[in-house]
Amino acid sequence: MSSADAAVELENVEHSYGDVTAVGPVSLSVPAGEFLVLVGASGCGKSTLLRLIAGFEQPTTGTVLTGGHAPQPGRGAGLVFQQPRLFPWKTVGGNVALALRYAGLPTDRVDELLAGVGLHDVAHRRTWQISGGQQQRVAIARALAVDNPLLLLDEPFAALDALTRERLQEDLRRVSARTGRTCVFVTHSVDEAVFLGSRVVVLTARPGQVALDLKVGLPRDGLAPDELRGLPEYAALRSQIGHAVREAATVPEGASA
Amino acid sequence: MSIIAPVRPTTEPAAGGARTARAKGGRRRRVLLRVVALVVLYVLWEITARVTRNPAFIPAPSAVWHQLIVTSTTHDGVRGYSGHLLIEHLGVSLRRILIGSVIGVAAGLVLGVVMGTVGWIRVVAEPVVTFVRALPPLAYFSLFIIWFGIDETPKLWLLSIAALPPVAVATAAAVYSAPTGLVEAARALGAGRWQIVRDVVLPNALPEIFTGIRLAVGVAYSSVVAAETINGVPGIGGLIRDAQRYSQTDVVVLGLFAIGLSGLLIDALLRTAETRLIPWRGRS
Repeated sequence: MSSADAAVELENVEHSYGDVTAVGPVSLSVPAGEFLVLVGASGCGKSTLLRLIAGFEQPTTGTVLTGGHAPQPGRGAGLVFQQPRLFPWKTVGGNVALALRYAGLPTDRVDELLAGVGLHDVAHRRTWQISGGQQQRVAIARALAVDNPLLLLDEPFAALDALTRERLQEDLRRVSARTGRTCVFVTHSVDEAVFLGSRVVVLTARPGQVALDLKVGLPRDGLAPDELRGLPEYAALRSQIGHAVREAATVPEGASA
Repeated sequence: MSIIAPVRPTTEPAAGGARTARAKGGRRRRVLLRVVALVVLYVLWEITARVTRNPAFIPAPSAVWHQLIVTSTTHDGVRGYSGHLLIEHLGVSLRRILIGSVIGVAAGLVLGVVMGTVGWIRVVAEPVVTFVRALPPLAYFSLFIIWFGIDETPKLWLLSIAALPPVAVATAAAVYSAPTGLVEAARALGAGRWQIVRDVVLPNALPEIFTGIRLAVGVAYSSVVAAETINGVPGIGGLIRDAQRYSQTDVVVLGLFAIGLSGLLIDALLRTAETRLIPWRGRS
C-alpha cells in the first residue's frame, strides 16, 4: 500500500524526550476504515505514538503522515483524550458547538450529534451536571462533530467504571461501523483491544516497538456484545494478545531507561 | 436517528432538598451571629464612650447618628458638611473609585494577558508591577500632584495605579498557568492561537481575574481617602480631613462608616456578580 492510500503511515518513527527514547523505531501503515488498537503496558509509548499521529509531537526521526500529509492538531483528525477535557464554562451543547464553529460549520446539528452518542436533553446542562460516562460521550460527540476521516482515542474509557466502559465500547463500535472512519485506539486492556479492533498492534516496553501486529477477523455482524465475547475465537485472540502483551512488557536487557 | 441506546441525564441527587434546607439553616445562623456581633460592638462602643466621657476621643454612637442627620440635611442655612450633603461626598468618592478602578482593572487585564502570554514581557514587567504594588499610594501621590496639579487628575491616576497591580498579577498568573489539557483539547478541535486565548485561556482565568478585581476595588477604596486629602471636597476623604482639622471625631467616624459600609455593599455586589458570571468556579 502506498502512503497516499493509507490513512496513517508511520515510517521508522522514533520519539525521544531528552535522553529518553519513548517510542520507536516503529513502522505502521493503517488503511482507511481500519480500527487499529495499540495495546501495551503503561509507559510503553503508545500515547506518545498517538500524539505523533495527532501532530502534538514531532518525531525525532522518521516520518508520520496522515492522509498523505504531515499531521497538524485539529486538521483531519478528531481526538478523544483519557479525560473528557470539556470546557466547564460552556454548556454540554456549547462544547460540541465549538468544534463546529472552528470548522466553519453551522451549529444547528448539536442535538443531532449528541443524540448520535446516545445523549438526549442534555445540551443545555453544565458539564459538571452530567456523569463521567456522559462527559466522555460528549467528548466523543465533539470529536465526531467535524467529518474528519480519522478518529484518535487515547484510553478514553480508562477512568470509567466497568459497566459504563463496556457500554461505551459497544457504542463506539456502532459509531465506528456507522461512520466508517479510520480509528486509532490506545488502551492497556486486552479485552478492549479484541472487542474493538479490526487490527491489534502490541507494543514492547519502552522504547515501544511493534511486538505483534495482528488482524482481528471476528465475525461481528449481527452479534450481540455478549455473543461476540462468548466466541471461542474471541477467547483465543484474548489469550494470544494477552500473552504477547505480557511478553512485550518485559524490558529487554540493555534497553534505554 | 441514534443507533445508540439513549442515556438519561443524571438526575439531581435525592439529598438535594435536605442540602438546601441545611444551607438555609447555615445562612440564618450566620446572619444571626453577625447581628449579635454588631449589637455587642454597639454596646461596647456606647459603654466606652460613656466611661471615657471624651467625645473628641471616642464619640458616642448617638453623636455619630446626630452627625448623620446634620450632614445629610440643610441646617440653619448650612448645607450638609463643607457645603455638600453626606450622600454627595460619598457619591463623588464612589465616582472616583469607579473611574479609577475601571481604568486600573482594564489596564491590569491587558497587561496581565500580555505578561501571561509573552515570556520576555513577563520577565521585564513582573518586577515593575511588584515594585508598584509594594509602594504605599501616598508615596506616589506627591509625584502625581507635581505632575498634574491638585484637581481630579492626580486622584484618578492614584486610584488607577493602585488598582492595576492586583488585576495584572492575578491575570498573568492565571493566563500563564492555563491548563495544557484544555488548550490541547481546543487545538485538537482546530482552534487557532487567538481562539485558544478567547475560548480557553481567558474563561479559565476568569475566576482568578475576578478575585484580582475584588482586590483592586478594595485597594482603590483604601486609597481614596489618601487621594482626597488634598483638595478632596466634595469627597469622603475631604470630609474626614476637614473634620480631623476641627477635631470633629464624630464626623470622622461617620465618614469611616460611610466608606466602609459602601465598600461592603460593593464587595457583596461583586461577589453576587462573580457567582452569576462564573458558575464553574471550583468545578471541573
